[in-house]
Amino acid sequence: MNFDFSIISNALPYLWKGFQYTLELTVIAAGGGLFFGTLLALARLSSIRPLQLVAGGYVNLMRSIPLVLVIFWFFFLVPLILQAVTGADRPPQVGAERTAIITFIMFEAAYFCEIMRAGIQSIPRGQIHSAYALGLNYSQTMRLVILPQAFRNMLPVLLTQTIILFQDTSLVYVISATDFVGAAAKIAQRDSKLVEMYLFVAVVYFILCFTLSYAVKLLQRRIAVIR
Amino acid sequence: MPMIEFRNVSKWYGSFQVLKDCTTKVEKGEVVVVCGPSGSGKSTLIKCVNALEPFQQGEIVVNGQQVGDRTVNLPQLRSKIGMVFQHFELFPHMTVVENLNLAQIKVLGRGLDEATEKSRMLLKRVGMIDHAPKFPGQLSGGQQQRVAIARGLAMDPVAMLFDEPTSALDPEMINEVLDVMVELAQEGMTMMCVTHEMGFARKVAHRVIFMDRGEIVEDATKEEFFGTPRSERAQQFLSKILHH
Repeated sequence: MNFDFSIISNALPYLWKGFQYTLELTVIAAGGGLFFGTLLALARLSSIRPLQLVAGGYVNLMRSIPLVLVIFWFFFLVPLILQAVTGADRPPQVGAERTAIITFIMFEAAYFCEIMRAGIQSIPRGQIHSAYALGLNYSQTMRLVILPQAFRNMLPVLLTQTIILFQDTSLVYVISATDFVGAAAKIAQRDSKLVEMYLFVAVVYFILCFTLSYAVKLLQRRIAVIR
Repeated sequence: MPMIEFRNVSKWYGSFQVLKDCTTKVEKGEVVVVCGPSGSGKSTLIKCVNALEPFQQGEIVVNGQQVGDRTVNLPQLRSKIGMVFQHFELFPHMTVVENLNLAQIKVLGRGLDEATEKSRMLLKRVGMIDHAPKFPGQLSGGQQQRVAIARGLAMDPVAMLFDEPTSALDPEMINEVLDVMVELAQEGMTMMCVTHEMGFARKVAHRVIFMDRGEIVEDATKEEFFGTPRSERAQQFLSKILHH
């Protein structure tokens, strides 16, 4: 067997484009997931029973099915639903990249919800009482007092979840979106250099994720001191 | 018209009754100390005043407003009643001066400069001005509690509620907090204090309420209460906490 690693340097611009898409998807999904996850967490913790049930049901549903299936179902089902709703002749295509962004936000929201829920519950009840006693309303109490503390307490876990998300985005290959892995796979197929390309991709993922995890660990130690 | 009035207030946790038909009042400028064994409902009673705890029966009228009324503007009512908690409950992610500014700006609509000026004046008054830029975590318990009192005062309250303000403090820090409270009482602030500090009660209280098992057992002037408590339970309680 002889390996030709020069193929990698030739393919770098294409791989870089794929990598940029991976990053973009990670950042958007993490941001959107955190936003909607926080709303879901507030709904799960609210005193309004229907809101609790809907949010809880959504989170449990999302956490009980594999991500690949969510992507698949969304990719194939949503065009059909849109067709039924709009009455179009042919199913309108959502497109691989848009599908990826929406499904990842939906999926991550469930996980970020549980993290933020734990974060909110970690804040002593007295903090809510003292905010209310000063005359702050529910939304001000959450926005100004509880969520900033919950977010800070949960920052290491949120970042760890984002690192997992960064790896999970590679699953978009099932709908042929060209992320980092997708780009590498296409070149590997074209040039029959499977070992070289997949090895390269693995090494890049490993270095990035390992470094980031280590950084999170350092951060965790600093936060622990402040409290 | 009393500043705070309780009329036949009862409260249940499930089937367990924590407050039994409590009726009493706090006049304007009056200092009322609420004491009693733990679990007697004193903290619950005081938390009903600003609706941090709901109650099922009776009514509480604060500054002319019905607390239990659904149409009452709770944030507005609460902003007029300062409250100090056993565990201080300063906001740990904000500096001392930001803790005092927050509700002034967000609830009373004061500008940053006006709020800061007010905050600094109150911090000076409780002897904490040098600590204004620090975070609560950098302060001792006694210092945090003094900041918490200043935070309540920053809202220009018509009355202050104290829920065991010295129970979580080391003994050497109790006096610095009590001194601030005594000063406040002597200036004529309306105060309702849940506390076991009988020295404080003797010094500034007008009336003492003794609670046991959710009931107001004794509601007397200070002189009567410390002279000859009428109920046996109050006598027992007093002999326990005064004899060491």
